[in-house]
Amino acid sequence: MEALEFKQSAPLTLGVELELQLVNTRDCDLTRAASDLLALIEKKPHPGEIKPEITESMIEVSTGIHARYDALLAELQAIRGTLVAAADRLNVRIAGGGAHPFQHWSDRRIFDRPRFQHVSQLYGYLAKQFTVFGQHIHVGCPDGDDALYLLHAMARYVPQLIALSACSPYYQGVDTAFDSSRLNAVFAFPLSGRAPFAVKWGDFTAYFERMRASGIVESMKDFYWDIRPKPEFGTIEIRVCDTPLTVDRAAVLAAYAQALCRWLLVERPNRVGEEVYLAYTYNRFQACRFGLEGEIVDPVAGVRRSIAEDVAVTLAAVEVHARELDCQEPLRALEQIARAGNDARWMREAYADGGSLPDLVWQQSERFRGM
Amino acid sequence: MSELFFLPSLPPGAEAIPWYALLLLVAAIAGEVVHRWLHLPRLLGWIAAGLALGPHASGLLDAKALAGLRGVLDVALGVVLFQLGQRVDLGWLRRNPWLLATSVLESALAFAAVFVVLLLLDVRPLLAALAAAIGIATGPAVVLSLTRELRAQGQVTERMLLLTSLNCIYAFVAVSMLLAWLHQEYSDQWLSIVAHPLYLIFGSLILALGFALATLGLLAVLGRREEAQFISVIALVVAAVYAASMLKLSLVLVLLAYGGMARAFDARRRFASLAFGRLGQILFILLFAITAATLEIELLPVGALAGAALVAARYAGKALGVFALAPVSGLSVRKASLLSLGLMPMSGVALVLMQDTAALFPKLGPELAAVMVSAIVMVELLGPAVAYFALVRAGEADESGRT
Repeated sequence: MEALEFKQSAPLTLGVELELQLVNTRDCDLTRAASDLLALIEKKPHPGEIKPEITESMIEVSTGIHARYDALLAELQAIRGTLVAAADRLNVRIAGGGAHPFQHWSDRRIFDRPRFQHVSQLYGYLAKQFTVFGQHIHVGCPDGDDALYLLHAMARYVPQLIALSACSPYYQGVDTAFDSSRLNAVFAFPLSGRAPFAVKWGDFTAYFERMRASGIVESMKDFYWDIRPKPEFGTIEIRVCDTPLTVDRAAVLAAYAQALCRWLLVERPNRVGEEVYLAYTYNRFQACRFGLEGEIVDPVAGVRRSIAEDVAVTLAAVEVHARELDCQEPLRALEQIARAGNDARWMREAYADGGSLPDLVWQQSERFRGM
Repeated sequence: MSELFFLPSLPPGAEAIPWYALLLLVAAIAGEVVHRWLHLPRLLGWIAAGLALGPHASGLLDAKALAGLRGVLDVALGVVLFQLGQRVDLGWLRRNPWLLATSVLESALAFAAVFVVLLLLDVRPLLAALAAAIGIATGPAVVLSLTRELRAQGQVTERMLLLTSLNCIYAFVAVSMLLAWLHQEYSDQWLSIVAHPLYLIFGSLILALGFALATLGLLAVLGRREEAQFISVIALVVAAVYAASMLKLSLVLVLLAYGGMARAFDARRRFASLAFGRLGQILFILLFAITAATLEIELLPVGALAGAALVAARYAGKALGVFALAPVSGLSVRKASLLSLGLMPMSGVALVLMQDTAALFPKLGPELAAVMVSAIVMVELLGPAVAYFALVRAGEADESGRT
């Protein structure tokens, strides 16, 4: 067995993955269209990478590696253009959002690939219930130790990212009262949650080898942690965000993560220890349930405030770094989200206005097009 | 009055109700048998039950009993056509104009192929053209019922439904145009030559528009309660079927256009959750069983060769049309071949078009039947099986729905 080697990557470079919903134009329920869509897109060269996901009603797109927000946004928009054009020809619509508001999980079909079939057999109905849609943000790290430092230092800001991106208030046809119901589906998996506390890459490798030797996992892919190291890319992967309703917002969230990481790596403002996780699950619940109005508790700094306020305070702290990274503009957009409300709020308003969940999904798909 | 008046009089009267019960029961059992042991779609069982009970086989259902069931047949076909029209997204044609081109091409080639083959078989041109026009239409009930039973989703399914609804309209328009020719041959009055096709086409469209707007207006008042939507839409569809026959308009065009317009003008997507559920299923069963019962299977061997030639020519025309434009419309060759198979069914609409023409020109009826019936009988059995195979092979059928 080869050792888990952490590949070096250019620090603070960004890559984004988005899981997207494929819905029909009739009643906006999820539809099995991934194979047809991929077959059409793969014929020609296209921006980004577009891949199947576990069910046929889902695709995953990923960008290349970017040093700056502008280039990331441009690539995401180009990918969106390709997808929408292909989907139009096939009478399929694409929507963002962390979960489909009214799909029934029993209707889902697992995409025909060995890994997906294995996951489906292992997890039973959980695999189909896992038809949820997330944004993953990769941030490049110089080495394994820095990656682990960043992973644990970022844990403090996970609730912010959850609340800012939350857009899965409806699940299986009902208002869940959560802003992000998607993460509840993730928490059902045995290897979800937070990574074990280790700050040396060697210690982490030892942990991973023990888990592998005992047959609990085969690869890093079997961990469904909120943030996990991705040694083969040389990144940490932040996995808590719901897929936003627009690619523009996905780029804004990535820019915020980048600025946060630069601040944490350069200034090392917080001491990282096991106590980081003292209030972790409480804060995460608050963020999922109440969104930006949720409460965040930082027992280390002795702070207790709303997540929206916490975002504002953090934005002030990272400002210098945002200037270095040329991402002041997206951070202003982020400030606006913290003030005016996240996409979950928009979805509840759109539902109240349109009166039906299919109509809501239609509006989501219009927003994804950039309408 | 006899003193034993309370005992039933034998034989029972010719009311339709017991026949419905018998037909539904036998068809439902046959459907389950076919589904469970032969692993084929239920509708083949329904068709088989109709054939077996009908006057042309066991004769349990005689012509008189069958006539009593006619009313429901029209309603059932009306509901199917409405559903199909409602399912089809005309906006798709705008976003992918090659689909419109495909539908025109496959219809035109199917018409041409059938026409030429019938001419070669010494059928006179007028009849050949009429049969070819009727042959343009794919059977809407078959494709819709299969899609539902298999819970099929994907490009073969979606395109099969779209092309079916379009080619049913083309078939109707073509038959209406040929009416001008028929009028010329049989009466030679210029007013009916010109006015009749126009009345049929535009009258049907206007009626459909009226019903579509009334439906949307009603839904706006009723709100999104599914049950209220369902009941009112069923009532309006039945009314539209009745209005079409009363005004001597086309059932096919009125109901298809009604469904299509109701969808197209539904800016607020009020229709999104409308489903015909169990009632839809019962209507499907009756539609297939009654249609099958009326088929004159004894004519099958007589015209078998001509029928087979017609079926083959029709398929070749449709397949060529679908293949030719598959690459530009964004369909793989494999799926194009399956889609062309999916377009093979033909029955309900073909029979209606045939009967409508025969009703207008009684002398023509038997002649047209002689040309078409054996082909229709063949496709009645072959079409659903082939279309089923196409959807399964395309990987678009739901596994759980199949077993």
